[in-house]
Amino acid sequence: MLRVNPEAVMPKLSVWKYVVILWMTAVLVAGFLIRVPEIPILYETTRNLFFHVPMWFTMTVMFAAGLVFSIRYLMGSNMRHDALAESVTLVGILFGLCGLLTGALWARFTWGTWWTFAEPKMNLSAMALMIYVAYFILRSAFDDPEKRAKIAAVYNIFAATTVPFLLYVVPRQLPSLHPGADGNPAFSDLTAPELRLVFYPAVIGFIGLAAWISQIRYRYVILPITINRLNRNNND
Amino acid sequence: MTHIMTLILLLFSAAADTLSEAYSDLWQGVQAPEHGNVIMQAMASQGLILVVLGVSLIIWFVLIGYLVRLDKKISDLEQKLSD
Repeated sequence: MLRVNPEAVMPKLSVWKYVVILWMTAVLVAGFLIRVPEIPILYETTRNLFFHVPMWFTMTVMFAAGLVFSIRYLMGSNMRHDALAESVTLVGILFGLCGLLTGALWARFTWGTWWTFAEPKMNLSAMALMIYVAYFILRSAFDDPEKRAKIAAVYNIFAATTVPFLLYVVPRQLPSLHPGADGNPAFSDLTAPELRLVFYPAVIGFIGLAAWISQIRYRYVILPITINRLNRNNND
Repeated sequence: MTHIMTLILLLFSAAADTLSEAYSDLWQGVQAPEHGNVIMQAMASQGLILVVLGVSLIIWFVLIGYLVRLDKKISDLEQKLSD
């Protein structure tokens, strides 16, 4: 006979995570199956709008969350806020990398090149990512957690202020092939309105997925801190 | 290294369909999916896009399954710690 220990029951998954799974599955199915307008040069790669662009939206939201948590750390010196800022920033970089890689692949088959230094949006977004990589290099330079948290929070505020300029303000002033630039708006006649029906849900879905991944990362960071505190309390 | 780079470049610049040329004899005897049952016909419609969707969904479910496992394992650790 099978005996089930009620205390050994597998922990439950929060409801919103099931929503993320179903939502993203629906976005994938719709993204592949929706009828896209035939646009010369783009053809079926129009569907990349549902996957490449949300990477950048998600990255921006994660970096904005990092800014909020960094400010909150400086206001209260709560190590949980530092762990949160670090986690969302890391996931933001991951999504930014996905945006760069998917953009390069898309560019190869539409613009004819993996990378061009004539394209401001490409280069400036790579620059924004490098500024955030420096955040982690800076963190690794400190052994004292309090000092690391404080300096990293100050740096993160600086890093976050560069993002709107590097990703949105400056590229719009320069000539570019990339949509969302000078004389080439992101949603124009080129982009059929029905694409928005999948695009906006995709943005929401990917942000939910990023929130989930960063929450796991946060809990992984916070566990040893809790263990240390418990050990200290036991020793007292 | 340069050989690999050349190979990759060749791979992406190759416009000629060398694949079906080399394998056409082998494929001749195979029943094309559009002559199969209803499911096969549906899968083969719209330029085989459903196959790409299937591949993407497999990857998505494997990755999300791993994420769920990871989440539950960390929950387990947190529970042990709070006991």
